[in-house]
Amino acid sequence: MKTVILSGSKAKLDFKEVLNYRGLLKNIAYRDVTVRYKQTWIGMIWAIIKPLMNILIFSIISRLIDKTSNTSQNFLNVGAGVIIWNLMASCVSDSSGSLLANANLLTKVYFPKIILPFSSIFVCLIDFAIAFAIYLIFFFIFNGFPGFHILFLPIFVFLAVFLCLSLGLLFATLNVKYRDVNFALPFFLQFAFYASPVFLSTQFYLNHLPHYLQKAFLLNPAVFILDGFRYSLFGKWEVYDVQAIICSVVIMVILFFIGLRYFLKFEKSFADYI
Amino acid sequence: MSNATIGVKDVSKVYSLKHKAKEEDKFLIKSIFERNDKNSVEEFWALKDINFEVNKGDKVGIIGRNGAGKSTLLKILSRIVAPTTGRIEYEGRVASLLEVGTGFHPELTGRENVFLNGSILGMTKKEITSKFDEIVAFAEVENFLDTPVKRYSSGMYVRLAFAVAAHLEPEILIVDEVLAVGDSAFQKKCLGKMNEISSKEGKTILFVSHNMAAIQNLCNKSFVIKNGKIDFPINDTNAAIRHYIKDSIKLSRLGISERMDRSGEGMIKFENIVLVDNSGSEVKGIHTGQEINFIIETKYDIHAITNVSVAMTVYTDEGAEILTLANHISLESFAEIKSNQKIVCNVKKFPLTKGDYVLNVSVYKDSILQDYITEAFSFTVFEGDFYGNGKILPGNTPSVLIENNWFLK
Repeated sequence: MKTVILSGSKAKLDFKEVLNYRGLLKNIAYRDVTVRYKQTWIGMIWAIIKPLMNILIFSIISRLIDKTSNTSQNFLNVGAGVIIWNLMASCVSDSSGSLLANANLLTKVYFPKIILPFSSIFVCLIDFAIAFAIYLIFFFIFNGFPGFHILFLPIFVFLAVFLCLSLGLLFATLNVKYRDVNFALPFFLQFAFYASPVFLSTQFYLNHLPHYLQKAFLLNPAVFILDGFRYSLFGKWEVYDVQAIICSVVIMVILFFIGLRYFLKFEKSFADYI
Repeated sequence: MSNATIGVKDVSKVYSLKHKAKEEDKFLIKSIFERNDKNSVEEFWALKDINFEVNKGDKVGIIGRNGAGKSTLLKILSRIVAPTTGRIEYEGRVASLLEVGTGFHPELTGRENVFLNGSILGMTKKEITSKFDEIVAFAEVENFLDTPVKRYSSGMYVRLAFAVAAHLEPEILIVDEVLAVGDSAFQKKCLGKMNEISSKEGKTILFVSHNMAAIQNLCNKSFVIKNGKIDFPINDTNAAIRHYIKDSIKLSRLGISERMDRSGEGMIKFENIVLVDNSGSEVKGIHTGQEINFIIETKYDIHAITNVSVAMTVYTDEGAEILTLANHISLESFAEIKSNQKIVCNVKKFPLTKGDYVLNVSVYKDSILQDYITEAFSFTVFEGDFYGNGKILPGNTPSVLIENNWFLK
């Protein structure tokens, strides 16, 4: 095996190499998962309590704002939104911080850096799986078994991760040089939370937004993901707008390539700046 | 690239240093809102035009003072940072050991950390599993495998971390000063292990250390880096060490207080070392057999400092460690040193023969390294009458004389 190191060589994603390092990816993800709830008293139960509290709070708020829906339906609707949103928010913030959190590795050993944002996703997925399992129990009680649409669910979970990883790659790269990201990210997430139909329905937003903002609202890829996630559970697409969906998908793909390219371009200088 | 395993051609690395603009005419408010446009940027060449080739199976020592660029070079070779210019080629799998225990997580158990650390260093799961028992036995932590490493003693921690690294089997191994940790018994064990690894067929090693004895032991070739440039091209280890020590002797004429290349916590620092004979006057050289005092001045910020141990290691100009003087070994640590007290090491009959010698000095408080300076001081030993009978050992090789008796029975 011959290796050549050149100054200023081009950035590219070496799939074979990443594949060679899958053991490292697995081990880092395993580390993050095991360490997450170490030395807590109730351990993994936190993964249930946190979304449950969020759901309760936002169900109440949503009832206060939007009085059209019935209570148990509202609870399930908000629940679905909060759970997939928590996955997205934690994916964005964990992957954005993944390079800094592993700075000691970056400056001491070589490996494809892209492993870090990817491995940080696993913790988020496990938290999501636990919360979602509990949610499903409530779902069966109030709503019975879901229809065939549930088969689409993995697609929307994948899209959620895909979108957030794209943003994560971008933010993680910025974060290496500009710690401003740490400060700006919570605002960004908060804004995105209110700009997406997490605890209120898409229809509610469309009814209350001025006309010129409606189109912009629908272009938010998170709207498509949240609606799609709810569709796979309830079998009903709230506001079905093909144009908006196509735009969302295109935006997601573009974001991914921007994030990936930006990450790879600066990958070599991470150790110099971190 | 001819027959070499590693070929390094014209490699340079530049860092830009930002200098703050003059502060005096800046108000706080102004400086918050003004972006630092006035800051000047200076280029710093950590490495400049480095060229060398390493053949398969060579064990190469990289010698140089702190800040000379050794670590930058190793980082470039390990692909951690990218070179600014130049080209490097090598053949085979590389593992680099720039730190002991990279990626160890305090909350994980010993067992989990072995697997994590192993994969960080580039081992596959199969390799780690097959060597697991060996690693654990080497580290002597069998009973603590399922304990989180945050509960380990620092010795156990370092042993386990080194054990994983020692069982790597790459074609090229890059090692940076990792032996500076752990107690001396363990250091010996590590060096032994390194020797064992390197003696295996076809392994190439690049090794950075301040320990000339370790380099001499391990490396068949060496080169010297100084201020980012190759000062002495790759050659026989002894020649490289001789060159380095000669240069060090020049440097050691500088005052110790001006030296920046120190390591340690810095609570107590060396200021000056002088040689004083028994009449109390300062001397530049020592005669073999003469009574001599090393007077060591130190500096610290607090009023008094407790539990201090000082060690001086004496090297010949060939880099061979020949003598160690340490208060905590020959007597015991100083319970307390008050400000403006000087530390004195008295040697009744100086045992070294004619030659030039160099000193490394280190000072510990509560067994924690506070200050360590390599080649801090150099001195010349002149011929002298050790045995008090007017006879002098012939020859020019430095050696140690001791009292001895001869008789017939």
